[in-house]
Amino acid sequence: MLNISNLVTEFASVKALNGISFSAKPGLITTVIGANGAGKSTLLRTISGLERPTSGSIKWFDEELTTKSVESIVRSGIAQVPEGHAVISQLSVAENIELGGLFRKRKVRGDLEVATKEVYELFPILFERRNEPAGSLSGGERQMLAISRALVSRPKLLLLDEPSLGLAPLISAQIISIVNELCRSTGLTVLLVEQNANTALAVADHGILLALGKVVADLPAKEMIADSSLRAAYLGY
Amino acid sequence: MDSFLSAFFSGTAQGAIYALVSLGLVLVWRGAGVVNFAQMGQAMFTTYIASQLIQNNYSYWSAFVIALVSGAILGAIVDLGLMRPLMSRKNSQLLNSQSMRTTIPVIASLGILGVLKALAGILWEGEERGFPSPVPANAVTIGSTNLAITSFDLFVIGVVFLALVLTTIFFTKTGMGLAMRASALNPEVTRLSGIRVGSVRTLGWVISGTASSLAGLLVTPKTNLSPNTLDLLLIIGFTAAVVGGLTSLTGSVLGGFIVGYVIAFVNVYSAPENVFIAILVFLLLALFFRPQGILGSKEVRRV
Repeated sequence: MLNISNLVTEFASVKALNGISFSAKPGLITTVIGANGAGKSTLLRTISGLERPTSGSIKWFDEELTTKSVESIVRSGIAQVPEGHAVISQLSVAENIELGGLFRKRKVRGDLEVATKEVYELFPILFERRNEPAGSLSGGERQMLAISRALVSRPKLLLLDEPSLGLAPLISAQIISIVNELCRSTGLTVLLVEQNANTALAVADHGILLALGKVVADLPAKEMIADSSLRAAYLGY
Repeated sequence: MDSFLSAFFSGTAQGAIYALVSLGLVLVWRGAGVVNFAQMGQAMFTTYIASQLIQNNYSYWSAFVIALVSGAILGAIVDLGLMRPLMSRKNSQLLNSQSMRTTIPVIASLGILGVLKALAGILWEGEERGFPSPVPANAVTIGSTNLAITSFDLFVIGVVFLALVLTTIFFTKTGMGLAMRASALNPEVTRLSGIRVGSVRTLGWVISGTASSLAGLLVTPKTNLSPNTLDLLLIIGFTAAVVGGLTSLTGSVLGGFIVGYVIAFVNVYSAPENVFIAILVFLLLALFFRPQGILGSKEVRRV
């Protein structure tokens, strides 16, 4: 269970997150939606330790994350797929995937091979192109690679930052549906940040609507889809 | 023909040493974003350690190994003892500005250089001394023909070749090598992969310290050893690193050899006093025509 309470993250006295509280249940998809600048990316970057909160707490079961380093947070089973299909374009596809599992190579070499095989089965195109530089991949393939890099670390919580950004609708639907299947088949907990509310709410169990650094709605996904006044007020459609 | 061959061979041997210096500079630059002006000061200091050991009747090879290990340790001390605490000071107004963040470590490295030179002066009285080589500097002969290469040059080329092969294997075949390449290219994604980028950076200082310590051991049999001997080597190594594009390890090694040949050919076909001018002109030409380095491609940004 991910528990966030009264989280405040400031950039030069601008409160990007202004007292956020919600929780994400294990084994389910929780989506955080909101317009540009609502604080969605800052929220994920604060959870993964890339930004330090001014106050508040983030708890993953009994572990307090706000005092831990980025590396330790990843090692405790929380993997972030950053915005913009973040892969290292000069490294090969295989090296990008290897990187994700490197920190546990000495302990669980066998499982790492299994995990690598699994992501190649999930995304066969990556296996075909495993020796090519990641920079030569298309946007969708890069996103698949970024997700694969996170998956080989065997996360319990996957943080996805706008996976559909800049992708063709068909490709982004495919990626979201793969994430959905993963969550349902493996019990992975997913926190999905999306600007595209329809796509995200279609697969999510629960929705959190952010506006200007605050939670304005915290509802089961179905109710959020049905609430047209909420969408009109905050998402503009 | 003879003078051509002798320029070629001495260029190769000198270039091999420049390649080590250049590799050391690029490793720290890529990993930590610092041009380490203390690098050859560290090498000077570890060469003095080796020299002291040899005076105390240690064998050449044990002094050689101890000097390399000291180079590694000195690299770690510079990073852990100075650079890291310096850059992680909380609430520092100075460190909030990007230009100061890049300037401060450079000034610190100049400070380390000063301290090491002063220490060497105190400990070893700063006098110029010779440094032995394990092989004589005779010309290699086949039958009765003298080749234009000395056995010492061959020794240098062999040792550097071995070091470069080991470095290449480390960077391309090991997980730690992958972690080092990744954290130089994209520290954020690397941290998000659970890799302790700080430790990886320290390892960069360690390898750089070892490589430059090796360069010191290989160059001083010809140049002698004093606290200031290796200053010129830093300038040449820096030129080589710029020729190689500053960010490419392969480029830095190639740059070392290219600068080695330039210097050797100027030496043979022009005059030794023109070498400085040649290095400077070459550096300017490199910056003017290939600022991205011989291997580099122009940076392309995706939007």
